[in-house]
Amino acid sequence: MTAPDAAASPRRRGFARRLARRLRLGRVLLLRRWRQSLQFRAIAVSLTLTALAFFVTGSFLSHQIADRLFNDRLQQVLAGATADFEDVQASFDASDASARDELQALVASTLGSLATDRADTERRWILVPMDYTSGQTLIPAQSQSPWMTSSTVPPELQERLEEQDGVFWQPASVRMAEDGDTVPVIVVGTVVELSQNSPYGLYLVYDFSDPQRTLDAMHAVLLLSVVALLLLVGAIVWYVTREVVRPVSTTARVAEQLAEGDLGVRMPVGGTHEVARLARSFNRMADSLQEQITQLEQLSSMQQTFVSDVSHELRTPLTTVRMAAEVLFNAREDFDPVNRRSAELLYHQVDRFDSLLADLLEISRFDAGAARLEVATVELFSIIHDVVEAAAPLAASSGSVVRVRSHLSRCTVQGDHRRIERILRNLVVNALEHGEGRPVDVLVAQSETAAAVAVRDHGIGMTEEEAAQVFNRFWRADPARARTTGGTGLGLAIATEDTRLHGGRLEVWGAPGEGACFLLTLPRTRARRLGPDDPSPLPLPPDDLAYPETAETTPTGSLSLMAAPGLVEPAGTPADAPQAEPVHDEEARP
Amino acid sequence: MNARILVVDDDAALSEMIGIVLTAEGYEPVFCYDGATAVDTFRAVRPDLLLLDLMLPGKDGIQVCREIRAISDVPVVMLTAKSDTVDVVRGLEAGADDYVPKPFKPAELVARVKARLRPVERAASAELRIGDVSIDVTGHSVRRGDQEINLTPLEFDLLTALARAPHQVFSREMLLRDVWGYQHAADTRLVNVHVQRLRSKIELDPENPEIVVTVRGVGYKAGSSAR
Repeated sequence: MTAPDAAASPRRRGFARRLARRLRLGRVLLLRRWRQSLQFRAIAVSLTLTALAFFVTGSFLSHQIADRLFNDRLQQVLAGATADFEDVQASFDASDASARDELQALVASTLGSLATDRADTERRWILVPMDYTSGQTLIPAQSQSPWMTSSTVPPELQERLEEQDGVFWQPASVRMAEDGDTVPVIVVGTVVELSQNSPYGLYLVYDFSDPQRTLDAMHAVLLLSVVALLLLVGAIVWYVTREVVRPVSTTARVAEQLAEGDLGVRMPVGGTHEVARLARSFNRMADSLQEQITQLEQLSSMQQTFVSDVSHELRTPLTTVRMAAEVLFNAREDFDPVNRRSAELLYHQVDRFDSLLADLLEISRFDAGAARLEVATVELFSIIHDVVEAAAPLAASSGSVVRVRSHLSRCTVQGDHRRIERILRNLVVNALEHGEGRPVDVLVAQSETAAAVAVRDHGIGMTEEEAAQVFNRFWRADPARARTTGGTGLGLAIATEDTRLHGGRLEVWGAPGEGACFLLTLPRTRARRLGPDDPSPLPLPPDDLAYPETAETTPTGSLSLMAAPGLVEPAGTPADAPQAEPVHDEEARP
Repeated sequence: MNARILVVDDDAALSEMIGIVLTAEGYEPVFCYDGATAVDTFRAVRPDLLLLDLMLPGKDGIQVCREIRAISDVPVVMLTAKSDTVDVVRGLEAGADDYVPKPFKPAELVARVKARLRPVERAASAELRIGDVSIDVTGHSVRRGDQEINLTPLEFDLLTALARAPHQVFSREMLLRDVWGYQHAADTRLVNVHVQRLRSKIELDPENPEIVVTVRGVGYKAGSSAR
């Protein structure tokens, strides 16, 4: 017994769970429909309210009709019964029978006529002696149908007859046919005197199933009409709301298309009603939107054309000037000192003018939104080595050493090689310019999602207010300070734009006298942009000593690579292990 | 004999300056100031190299380049003010061998010119094969069977570079150094565009190249059936 039970109950439970899940799903779907569809909501509300109204009126009507039907019938029955009772009493009074047999015959003949009334309603009589104590009960309780006895008559009715004179009635539920179902009946009763001082309760059982049937039929009709009406109301509400909601949902769809950039879409306009007015004003809005966007686009493309024209128009004469300056510069040994110095100044300043123009054009390309990434998988260390090597002469002349520090020896990101190189070049040159001859550290670290390069100098540093402005165009920390390399003042602004284009972050830290640190964090894959709260693999400022040195510039102005620590010491020196392979540590744990 | 260089640029000052630099290097510059007469001048002058500005009055530099490519294999170096991708690629596709972005230094210009005018190397092996294509290095000609395939000197150099080391994969940077003569990193689009131009001439089906094969993520190599 237990085994099939045990087997069945999980199945039943499973079924119950499935049912519950389906119900929950249904509820969720309905709720969603409710939230999303105005039309659904209107139909649901109006159907509910109409059903409620129908229920109230229906029950009122039904009650009224039942009342009327029943009462009419009852009056009829009572009138008939009273008249018949009087006839019976009169017939009893007229008789002078006193013997038991005579009385029995009298009862049979008198009551036999009661079997049908004038209205042909089916009824049965029951005669019950009332006084059991006096011993004068001449004949026993009897009835027209043998299955009806004194217990058929409701006791309350019998009690009332004993207490009061008159005709009384009471509803009950009785079998009218021998093997039929119980039907609703009215039992009417009164006291009759068969002979002196022998009261009997005479009851007539009226079949009331007819009015009940009528009432049932009426209920059915009522219910049917309510259902039909509900369907009709639902259809009407559906139609009406559709007429109202359809333009609204059309508007919504058109607005969505518009928002997605399809500026040409318009709403169909017909008539002069509110919806048409909505459509017209919507279309007017779309027109002006389109006009403004087209204007902006024109402006932007004009801007781009302008930038490219300026580029051409300025660059051609600049090329001539530059070539001329170089020819003069190359021949400077033949000049007298004044002309020689002039040629040198001309040459260097044309160079500076050139880079300033290039930076300006770059910035205006960013502003015009014309800058595009050329994404490839790039290796950060090779870029860093190129940048540091290129900056090595500057490092040598400024007396600084540039050191590359990292636990890694390779670090790849998806990005634009040229732009990443430009960012890092800007940061390294900037650090050398402000490094006061002290070492500059380039630190590299990576996480699952991001790669970070920090460029740290130990020079004059900067205050917080200065750090907040350092990315502004043409901003200089100290205008009075002489510039050694003559940067354009746009380097960090361009670096910021390049970083933004990559979806990365460029942050700065600085403290007066302690130096400054720029931290570049790039997402490792193109698909992901770095949020403002995403952690960088490096802290700001990072602790330079925590990272082993992998390369450094020499005093002669070149780059010397050192073997990466991971290559010298195979795996698992105690100091390196936790930093080098944190992921594996995690996985080894049970 | 000095190499003759036709400079097509509408800016007289720049043309003159380029002339000064080229003369100082021992070349013989000839000038043309608009696009409309460029092709006629080219025919009359028969230069060894063409320096061509992209923005020209009369006729677009790209159009000029296309027309000259149709009649001659002379090396063409573009002078571009725009380093925008589209213009450079359009110029290369029109047949230019190389480009120098303005503003350039005299040394850069001279290096580009020298690279394109360097004398053809006399290789040890005079005959090379890739697939069904045979290369006569000394005679500077390429044939498939009896059919002569006409290549520009640059395309010829590119094909020869690949054919000389049939099993080696050349990165774009290596080709830039060997074929174009760039010492430092340069625009790899040069290689992409010219490999495509070369393929359109020597491949039976340029969509499925068998002579110049792409090695994904690395570069190019000669087809495996070489030699």
